[in-house]
Amino acid sequence: MRKAEDMQWSSTERQGCVVASPDGRVDEATAQAFADHLASSVTLAAESPGRKLVVDFAGLDYMSSRGLRALTLAKRQADTAGVTMALARPNAVMREILAISRYDKLFPVSDTIEGAL
Amino acid sequence: MLIRFWGTRGSLPVAATASIVQEKVAGALLAASGRSFADLDEARAFTRNELDFATGGTFGGATTCVEIAAGDPDAGDPYILCDMGSGLRSFGLDAMRRCAAGHARVYHFFMSHLHWDHIMGFPFFVPAFDPNAHIVIHSGHEDAETALRRQQEEISFPVAFDWLRAKIEFRTLKPGEVYQIGAVQVEVMEQHHSHSSFGYRFTDADGKIAVFSTDSEHKMEKMHGEADVEAFFGNADLVICDTMYSLADSVSMKEDWGHSSNVVAIDLCHGARAKRLALFHHEPVYSDADIARMHAESIRYEELTREHAPLEVLCAYDGLEVVL
Repeated sequence: MRKAEDMQWSSTERQGCVVASPDGRVDEATAQAFADHLASSVTLAAESPGRKLVVDFAGLDYMSSRGLRALTLAKRQADTAGVTMALARPNAVMREILAISRYDKLFPVSDTIEGAL
Repeated sequence: MLIRFWGTRGSLPVAATASIVQEKVAGALLAASGRSFADLDEARAFTRNELDFATGGTFGGATTCVEIAAGDPDAGDPYILCDMGSGLRSFGLDAMRRCAAGHARVYHFFMSHLHWDHIMGFPFFVPAFDPNAHIVIHSGHEDAETALRRQQEEISFPVAFDWLRAKIEFRTLKPGEVYQIGAVQVEVMEQHHSHSSFGYRFTDADGKIAVFSTDSEHKMEKMHGEADVEAFFGNADLVICDTMYSLADSVSMKEDWGHSSNVVAIDLCHGARAKRLALFHHEPVYSDADIARMHAESIRYEELTREHAPLEVLCAYDGLEVVL
């Protein structure tokens, strides 16, 4: 069983926007940590000049519905804070999951960080 | 245990139009290009065995009604049914045939809730006119009788509830209790839906488990509560689950409409170590091709997210029978 601490997370600032990079899998064990990190990143993005949060999916192997729903909760927080959100660099599995769940209709999805900025 | 699906559509009954049938016939002709058939039986075999389901068949358009056939009808075990959607009419006609062959005229209904699409079949339920029939309506709601009587008031229907000839009883069930009813043990779970809904877990004497969980929204803000749902679904041989919308729709435009998604249903069944999931309560605007696509995507999502034993993902249709 993985633990919440297994969810690695790093943030950088690029062109005035926050780029958040989770790492690993988002499932039942790590979904809350993922949600907490997302909420902090939205807060950070609200204070950034670009008021934009790009979630870099390059390090994510997989995400269950809990992670997807955490993205929606973060988007609501972002909308209230005037922050726009975008997803970047999903692997093939994540791209399929975004398509099956129709989350690719809720979030802009880019192949590159630059494309998401 | 045998599960028979008499109605699988959500919200509103739907029927194929001429253009829909023409599309299916055109698709079948194209698939049969160059083939010839000696007789109707050969043509039927081609339709059943070689055409994709959306072309050669249909998921159907009757609203919720599911039969849980358990125990031994020859020993007098009663009918067990979930909900009274428009699919109940077909069940009622078939039940009259079976009763004529000796089946007990006892019907136990388990109501998910009392919204129109889940009760609209009762005024057309022929056994309700059978003076030798005994109908017991189990519900988590205390106002089930009000709902059924109200839809047969003269303003809505010409036959009053009091004119029905069967002996009809109402029983209110409580979550947390275990009931022995007919050949099954029954447990109840309250679900999130307008005016609440209830899920049912049926266990037969062989230990086979079927869960009926429709019209249930799994709220984003209450994901911590999903452990209870997984426990209720735990090790089920079949979970019949509301999968009306895509996940994106269920958390955006259709949030608070009281329904779930294929993706959440699969995650819950994975967490529960369930063996089979039946996608259920299909969106009425979906075509057969749309539902078939949703089924294929659901199978793929199950593969992508599987961590333990495979979960078989079925797509319920009117007429489907599943042996557990």
